[in-house]
Amino acid sequence: MSGRPSHSALGLSSAVLLAAAALALVDRHAARPWRARIPALRKPTLRGKVTDATAAVRAARRMNRAAGLLAGSVLADSAVEHYRGSFHNKAMIAPLASAIFSLAVSAHGNADKRPVAHRARDVVYSGAFFTGLLGAGFHLFNVSKRPGGFCWQNLFYGAPLLAPAALILSGATGFLSERVRDTLPGRSPTIAGIPAGRAVAAATALGLIGTMGEAGLLHFRGAYHNPFMYAPVSIPPVAAVLIGHAALGRARERRWVTRLFLRLSAAMGFAGVGFHIFGVARNMGGWRNWSQNLLNGPPIPAPPSFTGLALAGLAALGLMEDHPDD
Amino acid sequence: MSTRDEARAAPRAINGRAPDVFRRGEWVPMREHAEEEEVDFVVVGTGAGGAPLIARLAESGFSVVGMDAGPYFRPLEDFASDEREQEQLYWLDERICDGANPIVMGGKNSGQAVGGSTVHFAMVSLRFRPEWFKSRSALGYGADWPLDWREMWGYYQIAEQALSISGPVRYPWGPRRPRYPYRAHELNGAAELLARGAEALGMKWTATPLATVSAPHGRSPPCVYRGFCRFGCSTNAKQSQLVTFIPRALAAGAEIRDLAMVGRIEVGANGRVSGVHYHRDGRWRFQKARNVVVAGYAIETPRLLLASATDRYRQGLANSSGLVGKNLMTQSNQAVFGRMAQEVRWYKGPPSLAITEHWNYEDRKEFFGGYCWMAQGPLPVEWVTIQTSSRGLWGQALRDAMEHYIHQVGLKMVGEMLPDERNRVTLADEKDQYGLPIARITYSWGENDKALIQHALGQMQMSLEAVGATDIFRQEDDTNHLAGTARMGSDPSSSVVNADCRTWDIPNLWVCDGSVFPTTGGVNPSLTITSIALRTADRICALAARGEL
Repeated sequence: MSGRPSHSALGLSSAVLLAAAALALVDRHAARPWRARIPALRKPTLRGKVTDATAAVRAARRMNRAAGLLAGSVLADSAVEHYRGSFHNKAMIAPLASAIFSLAVSAHGNADKRPVAHRARDVVYSGAFFTGLLGAGFHLFNVSKRPGGFCWQNLFYGAPLLAPAALILSGATGFLSERVRDTLPGRSPTIAGIPAGRAVAAATALGLIGTMGEAGLLHFRGAYHNPFMYAPVSIPPVAAVLIGHAALGRARERRWVTRLFLRLSAAMGFAGVGFHIFGVARNMGGWRNWSQNLLNGPPIPAPPSFTGLALAGLAALGLMEDHPDD
Repeated sequence: MSTRDEARAAPRAINGRAPDVFRRGEWVPMREHAEEEEVDFVVVGTGAGGAPLIARLAESGFSVVGMDAGPYFRPLEDFASDEREQEQLYWLDERICDGANPIVMGGKNSGQAVGGSTVHFAMVSLRFRPEWFKSRSALGYGADWPLDWREMWGYYQIAEQALSISGPVRYPWGPRRPRYPYRAHELNGAAELLARGAEALGMKWTATPLATVSAPHGRSPPCVYRGFCRFGCSTNAKQSQLVTFIPRALAAGAEIRDLAMVGRIEVGANGRVSGVHYHRDGRWRFQKARNVVVAGYAIETPRLLLASATDRYRQGLANSSGLVGKNLMTQSNQAVFGRMAQEVRWYKGPPSLAITEHWNYEDRKEFFGGYCWMAQGPLPVEWVTIQTSSRGLWGQALRDAMEHYIHQVGLKMVGEMLPDERNRVTLADEKDQYGLPIARITYSWGENDKALIQHALGQMQMSLEAVGATDIFRQEDDTNHLAGTARMGSDPSSSVVNADCRTWDIPNLWVCDGSVFPTTGGVNPSLTITSIALRTADRICALAARGEL
């Protein structure tokens, strides 16, 4: 590869990632499970009716943060990986652009307390969704044209099949957040007729399984040489099953185990950044040789995808709690 | 004085310490033995056969001294990215090579360093086809090994784990094998073209199992695809004996003596060996030992056994069968090269990233033995050498040809040559710098060897043609790895050592390297040598437990 890495691009990516992480950590006390536990303090609920006018907006903003975090992860990851691929196909710039917009409208959505969907946010989130789909198509094509086709070797070293899914998820989460926000006063938020909490919970479960598949594949490529590499294939599947169960199960359950595993997944996403920083150090020359090892080592921006999904899952639980449909 | 020259000038493993191969300028503690102390084992040679044996014996509680004629290199400091400079890793002492097809000695077949040839080997780590252990009875040529492939399958697994082999998730030939400890490396341009060619010919192919890590292991960082793989690896990604079994041996209490050239094995009045005479730090010395293991590879092992002749053993040690030095085998290493329209950049990464063993497992052919071929990536000096020797290019024509370097592609075989008693190592009258008789290496290809080579060249050419290579030419004369010269067997009259690598004639004299191969198979031998060494260590422990040493 010729030339030196674009240090400013990497620096920008890291800054964006950190900003997204900070955004995600705000307002952690939104769930208020203790209040729900005491009947006298529990707000009266009616089937299909909303009594807390701000609840939908609160849930939507949580989802904006999740979408933003996912977009931040995509931005930093695709910046590094597509730079490594020398942007040899012009389309490789698309996920960067899409993720930057997605990040911006997520910040906008988080600041926006109005209970109406925003057209620009909808456009950007939809754009991210379709950019991710297109990316998945490109990546499939890249793997299929290699000798051996869809074999382990090409799954390891071809374009990562599931990586564009993070952009799909970011777009989907953001788009759903607009539907949640757009709930008419006095109505429970629904998405295509399905209660929003359940829809987001189901999407989170699928997203977690996909992201786990990606991490599992790449950690298998790394021969699980560090036992902590098993974490992303151990915790998220439990969280996925639990949140999937929540999507289909009773809305009024407290589900503290589900919350616990979602929070564990979220924490693991950040811990993964630390492990990947350590992983870069284990390459020849360590951090002194950062310009090469950032590209060769484990992708530092990748693990927060789990955090973004876990936040979406927590938002879904909040939605189901605020708008019980059974 | 550069650190490299320093390594050659004087022994480094002295005063109770040896170089720490993982840290610049640092040392690791090393147990030392006095020369008058009768150690349990002296192992002559620290390569693919010697090093695992030294480590396993030391780990089993034996006192062990490993001797090597070569220097103790520090990979992080001594290995320059320079083809000519790195020739220091080869055994380039004078030899006399004759016969119809004289073997070129050096980089392809003999190393001189602690860690032996594995310091510069191309890391290709393949298992034998099971039938090769019974070549005579199962396939009708060569000789049967006294080893069972199922037992060897277990030792291969131990060796692959110890060397952290990076290999494919599924290996397409032979019986099932456990998963390689590390995943295969990414293919480079040359390997991809091998794969496309094989697919066009309807052959299976795979990423080659290599002894260089694809993810961190201990203090070895993952391979950075520097491409200087047939030389010293300056990052320690290569899992040579120098960075695997030798550190294990030291940790277990073995002593390594670098720049220690063993010239003669001493035989006591009882007919058993009693120690070795070796040259180190300017003078001849003697180390007493209860057992001596010779692990100097197919030239130096018979040379030492023959040169240690006494009145009692006039034909050399362990030579009642007359087979010491005979049945020398090399492997055919011919190649076909061509040029692609697109850039290939074959110098990136290890040179042999993809392989097809099709003709090792396909018996519908009109000659004995098998062969595989691998992708190639000769560096510029080697490429110039091939251009001048195989094509006779010189001057402007050579310069023009070199312009195409990054577009070149090639396939190189590793082919089985059959054992023949006329191919042999004997002692010449001339003496070397130590005053020891020089080895005379006599080699001629047989009709079967020639048929196999022609078949392989044709197949490799078809593969290159299938991917659209142009300006195709053949390198017809190359050979590489060695074997034979102290073959193992089940009958003292037709072999030098038994299945445990113990010589039939002298119970406390052993041979543990590629010399013991009765046949050489169509794959690179190092993993099989290491596996045999691991088995030998287990057998020695079992014999010791029964009081039969």
